[in-house]
Amino acid sequence: MNRQLHSPPMIELIKVSKQYPPDVVALKEVSLSIATGEMFFVIGRSGAGKTTLLKLICSMETPSNGLIEIAGQPIHQLKGRHRAKLRQRIGVAYQDFKLLIDRTTAENIAISMEVSYKKPQLIRKRVRSLLEQLDLADKHDSITGELSRGEQQRVTLARAIANSPAIILVDEPTGNLDAATTERVMNLLHKCNKSGATVVIATHDDSIYRDTSHRVLELRTGRLVNPVEEVSG
Amino acid sequence: MSFWFTVLRQLGRNLRQTWGSQLMTLLTVSLSVLIFAFFYLVYTNMLTLGDKLGDDLSLIVYLEEEPEPELQEQLNRKIRSFDEVEEIRFVSRAEAYERFAAQLGENRDVLSDMPKDFLPPSIEIVPLKNLRSLNQMKVFSAYLARLPGSLKVQYGQDWVERFYYFTRLLSIIVLLSGTLLILTTIFMVAYTIRLTILGRQAELELLKLVGATNNYIRTPYLLEGFLQGLLGSSFGLCSLFVLFNWIKLRFSGPVLLNLFEFSFFSPTVSGTIIVVSILLCTLGSYAPMQKFLRI
Repeated sequence: MNRQLHSPPMIELIKVSKQYPPDVVALKEVSLSIATGEMFFVIGRSGAGKTTLLKLICSMETPSNGLIEIAGQPIHQLKGRHRAKLRQRIGVAYQDFKLLIDRTTAENIAISMEVSYKKPQLIRKRVRSLLEQLDLADKHDSITGELSRGEQQRVTLARAIANSPAIILVDEPTGNLDAATTERVMNLLHKCNKSGATVVIATHDDSIYRDTSHRVLELRTGRLVNPVEEVSG
Repeated sequence: MSFWFTVLRQLGRNLRQTWGSQLMTLLTVSLSVLIFAFFYLVYTNMLTLGDKLGDDLSLIVYLEEEPEPELQEQLNRKIRSFDEVEEIRFVSRAEAYERFAAQLGENRDVLSDMPKDFLPPSIEIVPLKNLRSLNQMKVFSAYLARLPGSLKVQYGQDWVERFYYFTRLLSIIVLLSGTLLILTTIFMVAYTIRLTILGRQAELELLKLVGATNNYIRTPYLLEGFLQGLLGSSFGLCSLFVLFNWIKLRFSGPVLLNLFEFSFFSPTVSGTIIVVSILLCTLGSYAPMQKFLRI
């Protein structure tokens, strides 16, 4: 953990606010730094602003105020190719999955590697490996629209980590999973983190952060309730 | 995975997904090219025809008196001051008589009792062999009729006027069909690409989020427009070529078609039509991308 604290911040938010029209405040002056290679939990009830925070970090949304930097780059000021390249380094597992429901599981996972022009053999190998780790090996050619919610959730996660991104953002990763699958998913995320990825998990499932040694931040109605602190293991 | 491999695969997906509207657009582009190329072909052949007819076309100004060399020089200057001409020939009475006698051949005896100066002297003016001169014949003949000593001006007046109006009409039709070609290609291609984009909105949104570059997303659509232009214009021109040959074969008997050698477009003109269609269709595909595909 100390190693992470001394690492340069991978994600930095300075007084970030997000307001949706007409006057819905989703985030209010949130400031935090997440170190390179850190695993970080954002907790809070539904509507607390967790998803908004992740959307701002992956540049899916723009902040109303404040500055967000990813690896030292102000992501919302980047345009075109530079923004696309930065997005390739961020893997996101969305709460609403954002799967192409008329495509196969393998195609959905491959898409994040295709945009960075990975070799087809490499893509095939990586897809099979991820499906095995997530207990979806038999769903390789299944149409994702026909999968259960839990299976779709795992496909989303597989797509987020397929391209070995520097940052992994996961929104409610265990919402539709049983205990055994939740453990599998968390093991996979820990594995990614150990191999150097910065992992941010937004969740309200206390079973996955209860005994964690990693930092946990609570959001309550868009405000940072607990100060940024390291939870000792 | 190379850029072009992914782009071509994406293009294949787009074509499969919206093959119905793609086919309609292809047919519309083909038909527009066919209509435009048909009228343009008729027009270019009419221009060639005009040139060929112009070879034998001349204005003859009959004069009261045979002009002296000095007057000939003055008339020459006057005529050339109105318009450029290819040739001006002064024909004396004696020369006119000799020509007439030569035309009569074995029957020249009929002239034996005639005086050798019974035919009027004249000026033969050969205009430049282009349509502009042909179209100006009427104005030119009126000018020549006003020259001092002029008795009468003769040329194929009716034919020239009809030809002039016909070519004017053709040029208007070519312009209209050209406009139709531009409008249909740009709008139809833009509409089809828009449909494709809207049909794949979820995927495009996802592609942006996983870090696809503008080129990665846009190039398949540009290629789609390029293909529409290439295939549409090629089909249009091929259809016209088949039609052209069929007409030549079917109507080879009638005199008019045998008098002149009708020809198809040169490879350069065909290539230009194809390139312009490709450019128009690519432009058509670029417009909706600017609106709907921004990272």
